[in-house]
Formats: sequence, C-alpha cells, structure tokens
Amino acid sequence: MVSKVKWTDIKTNLGFKRLFWRIFVAFWVASLAVMAATGYVLVNEYTASSYNKRFLDDATNQAERIVWRYEHEAFTNGRARSEIKEWVKRRNGRENQLIPMLISTPDNEVVYHYRLNKVPEEHRITREIYGPSNNRYVAQFRQPQTPRIYKQVLSRFQSIQFVFIFLASALVSALLSWSIVKPIKYLGAFSRKYANDQTATPVPSQLLTRGDELSDLAADINFMVSKTADAIGAQQRLLHDVSHELRAPLARLQASAAIIEQHQPKNKHVLQIHNDCQRMDQLIQQILNFSTLEQTPQKAEPCDIIALCNRVLDDMAVNYPGIPTTLTFNQSREEDAIINGFPEALHQALDNIVGNACKYSNKGQPVAIDVAFSTNSVVIVVKDNGIGVDDAEIEKLMQPFYRAGNQMHTEGFGLGLTIALKAVEKHAGTLVMQSPAEGGLRVKITLPKNAPTHL
Amino acid sequence: MKNEKINVLLVDDDKDLCALLQEFLEGDGFSVDAIHSGDEAIKTLLNTEKYDTVVLDIMMPGISGLDVLKSVRAEKQTPILMLTGRGDDIDRIVGLELGADDYLPKPCNPRELGARIRAIIRRTQYLKATPSASLSELHGIYLDLGARQATVNGKSLALTGAEFNALSYLMERVGQTISKQEMTQEVLKRPLEAYDRAMDVHVSRIRQKLAAAGVKNVIKSVRGVGYQMLTAPQQSE
Repeated sequence: MVSKVKWTDIKTNLGFKRLFWRIFVAFWVASLAVMAATGYVLVNEYTASSYNKRFLDDATNQAERIVWRYEHEAFTNGRARSEIKEWVKRRNGRENQLIPMLISTPDNEVVYHYRLNKVPEEHRITREIYGPSNNRYVAQFRQPQTPRIYKQVLSRFQSIQFVFIFLASALVSALLSWSIVKPIKYLGAFSRKYANDQTATPVPSQLLTRGDELSDLAADINFMVSKTADAIGAQQRLLHDVSHELRAPLARLQASAAIIEQHQPKNKHVLQIHNDCQRMDQLIQQILNFSTLEQTPQKAEPCDIIALCNRVLDDMAVNYPGIPTTLTFNQSREEDAIINGFPEALHQALDNIVGNACKYSNKGQPVAIDVAFSTNSVVIVVKDNGIGVDDAEIEKLMQPFYRAGNQMHTEGFGLGLTIALKAVEKHAGTLVMQSPAEGGLRVKITLPKNAPTHL
Repeated sequence: MKNEKINVLLVDDDKDLCALLQEFLEGDGFSVDAIHSGDEAIKTLLNTEKYDTVVLDIMMPGISGLDVLKSVRAEKQTPILMLTGRGDDIDRIVGLELGADDYLPKPCNPRELGARIRAIIRRTQYLKATPSASLSELHGIYLDLGARQATVNGKSLALTGAEFNALSYLMERVGQTISKQEMTQEVLKRPLEAYDRAMDVHVSRIRQKLAAAGVKNVIKSVRGVGYQMLTAPQQSE
C-alpha cells in the first residue's frame, strides 16, 4: 500500500506534463538548437570560404601547369588533351582528382578539355592564365561545390567539447526550470498547509523579494491569507458571541419558568417552556460543535478507541437505561485500539451515532459496537435493531438538518450524523451506513491509524 | 439547622439572571446574595464566613470564575459550584482540578441548581457529623476523617473536599469495585448524569497527587463499571 502510493507520487512528479519538465525540455531543446544553428553557420562560412579558395588555387595551379606543358612540348591539337591528362594523372595519382576544366587560347582554340561539357554555363568560373611566354589563355572550371555541411557539423557533434556543451546546457536548463518551478511548488505546499492549519506563518520574505511575477503571486497569497484569517476570526467570534448571547436569555427564560413553577407547580405550559429551553440549548451546542469541527486547527493526539466506546456506552446507560449495549473487540490486540486522532471529535461522532442507535431502538432491543483492528486502521461497527432507514434516504441523512421521513417527530435536529461525518472525515476515514434486510441500521466507521496532519 | 437557612452567594455578571435565580432560590428556602464581578467576589469571600456555598459563573468579563476559584481556594475551603458553558469540557475539568466541588452546565434548570446546592451542603454536613477519632490507613496513606487531613508516609497531602471524600470512600471499600453511579451518589451526593465527568476528574486528580507522593497504581479503573482501591499496588508493565 505504502509503496504503491509512493510510486504514483513519483510517477506524477516525473510526468512530462509537469511544468518542470516542460520548461526544462523547452529550454534545453531551444538552447541546443541555437547552439547547433550557430555552429552550422560558423562552420559553413569557414569551410565554404576556405574550400573555395583551396579549390580555385588547385584549379589555377593545375591550369598553369597544363599551359606550361602545352607551350613547351608544343603538342599537336589531337594529342594534347590525352597527353596532358596522362601527365596530370601521373602527377596526381588518381583520376578523380583531375579537376574538370576547359582551357582555350584567346581565339577559342581548345588546348585542354576534361569533363566540363556536362556543367552548364552558369556554373562555370572563368580565369585568365598566363603561360611562360606570357601568352594569355582562358581557363573555365566548375564552380567549387562545398561538401555537405551537416557531415562536418555532425563530426564535430561527436567531440568531447560537444558532450560538455550538451551537459552544461542541460544543467543550465534544469537550474532555470527549477528556479521557476520551486517557488510555485512552495506556494502550492503553503496553500495546502494553510487550508488545514490557519495558524501557519505567512509566505517567507525571500519569495516576496524576488521581484518577479512569482513574488507578486506570493504577495497575493499573503493577502488572501490575511483576508481569510480575518474572515475565519470574525466567523468564530460571531458564532461564539451569538451562542453566548443566545444562552443568556435562555438561562433567564428558564429561571422565570422555574419561578412560575414554584407558584403553580402543576402548570403544563411551564413544563413545555422547560423542554423547549433544553431543546434550544442542545441546538446551540450542536451548531457550536459543528462549526468547531470545521474550523479549529488541532494537533492529532493518541486516542484510545475502546476507552472512547466505553465512555459513550457509560453515558448511554444513563440516558437510555432500557437499551442493552455490548462492546466486542479482540482483547489480545487491545494496544491497537490507540490511534492518532482528535479525541473530542471522535467522541462526538461516536456519541451521535450510538446515541441515534439507542434513540431509534425500542426498550430491550440491543445496540452493539464491534471494534476490529488492522495494521493501518480501526473499524468500528455500530449496529442496532431499531426501525432502520429507507435505502433511498441513507445518503440524505448526512446533510445538515435532514431528518428521515419516519423520524420527523422524534427529538433531534438532524445535525448528529453531519457532525459524525465531519469528524470522521477530519481523520481521513470513511463512514458507511447500511440498513440490513433483517432491520435496524449498521454504521461502519473506518479510521486510519494516523490522522493526516495536513488534512 | 431547620431554622437556619443555607446562605448562598451567586456570582454572575448577568444581573437579571441573578435576580431571577435569587427569587427562585429564596422561594426554595435559601438565603441568597448576588455579586456581579470577579474581584468583588474575591473580596467578599475572603472577608466573610457567612456563605455555606458559592455558585460561580466561569464566563465573566475581567476576572473570570476560574480566577475567583483559584484565589478563594488558596485560602478557604468554602464549597464552590461552577456554572460552565455546556460542552466546555476543558473549563469543567480545569474548574474541578482547581478545587471546585461540582459543576453545572449553563443554562440550567434552576430546580437542578437547587438540588446541586443541597447535595453539596449535605456532603459537608455529613462530613462534619463524622466521628473525629476515625482514622483510615492503606498503602501508607493516612486519612484523619475528623480533621480531614490526608498524609502519605508522614507528609501531608493537599486534597480538595471532593477528592478527600472520594479517596476515603474507596479506601473504606478496598478490593471492591465501586460503580461511577454509586461513587457520584455517595461522594457528590447527587445522581450520575450522562456526560458527567466529575468523578473521573476527581479520581484522576487523586491518582496524580498520590503518584507525586510516591504511591502508584493503587486505584484501578474498571472499564465500563467504575473504580477499585486495590489491596496491593498493581505492578506497572
């Protein structure tokens, strides 16, 4: 289970959809492309010019030698070309080093011709050559063709320097990418932490002094944090004040009713007032519990589930003396009953659920709590044999102030299960309700051994 | 006793409520005075022995009920009943730890308040009537029931009234498991209620104080039932 979670974690972090990788790859590819292009242009310019120069030098050189030989040996027209070809071949050793050219005298008499007839006029270069007797000749060559440039660039790519450049650009891209992503990640983590613990300190100043858009974002988040803190503070104060202010007149109302009762002991209206006062007081208490659960940041502490269940059953024994209750669990694993959580919230949850079970049971119908332990969680099942709930209504039971259709007239406000669910969710646990065919209601609470501190 | 009315001091900042409670309690046979601020309450309580019991509201502006409790307990053992906000478990426990004799959630039915005051008075009077020569001894703990003095191995042990009663009740019934209902009824002189932690707090305070004095693991909690004073200290694991 644990390794699985870690693996998905790693997968999401390595995912190429992550901003880090996107920025990294974009910068890296861009920097490599820029370097390759620069390299290409530089190599191209350099090799092209030097190659051209060398080619022209070679060609002129060859032409001069041919002319020199032509003048000295005074070949006949027919022999000249083949003789010179032979001679050049001998000197150069290989035929493909013979440069295609056409040499002619100024009055268009061909002195030498080698494979230039295939080359179109516009690709030819014309040079003037002077023989040893200072006679003028015209030599035509093919325009120099620079060798395929990418081959040269590629040959440089394989060099150590290039590997170094490659790594350096990767490093720089990674650093750049990290410098953008890190504050974003930090702000994300901060928001998550803040959502659960409003006492968290504001965003640290080194993020605010960056001077870029991210520090603007950090400043905005700080602003939001202060606004939220104000709002939460105001809401908590309001709830606290309202509950206190509501309770003061309630206490006076009860006292007045009690005084009337002293004078008219059998007055049924006074009894009604007392009951309603009690009801209002309970409602105020439940609303307070509900809002406290939602807002108060708390630190998880050890809670003994068995002790909590016993505490709840003790209270039930006083409140519902006619309902027999049982608590079963594996005695040999009792030490597993201690989980890290929020005891008050859990007590409220269990109290509401077991209280419901007792409330909706008739005298003599048993209510059973069964606690099972596993390595990572504790499962509490509360089962009663009471009137149960329609399947269609089970989902709605968790909504605040919702009351099942068959229960509109029983005492209560419809907040109990909402509070229980909130408390269980605070532990990152689950609450499932079922109405089994044989009747009653079965509530199953699964609590992880460690309540998430960030939730 | 019959002709003498029980003197109650009400301390609450809500003047209207005080007036109503005063009227009710007087109709119920008590003699009631009311004070509306913490510092006034401290002054009055430290200067007079007139009151048999004090009903003290925790939530008061300025000097709170807990502050009053602390200052009064430092010098006097006048029985004090705290009025706490319902659900403020912390306030209740702190109140009991600071030596309050009992608590009642507010708002409450004044009839219940009257019953609680009577329970506290019954308890103190029952204690006064106990023969003075009686002495109880166990595990090195000596209780002088007459002088209401507790000593552990010669050193005196500071217990509040309710703690002293609970300890002596358990010591007199060593080896028996006493239910929370019975303890509450016999020690606090009132029935156990749902969500009633008074007895648990008293017993846990006794345990802490005994442990600090060197006597450990003599009171056992019997889950779902109550408490038991062991005949021999339980070996800690």
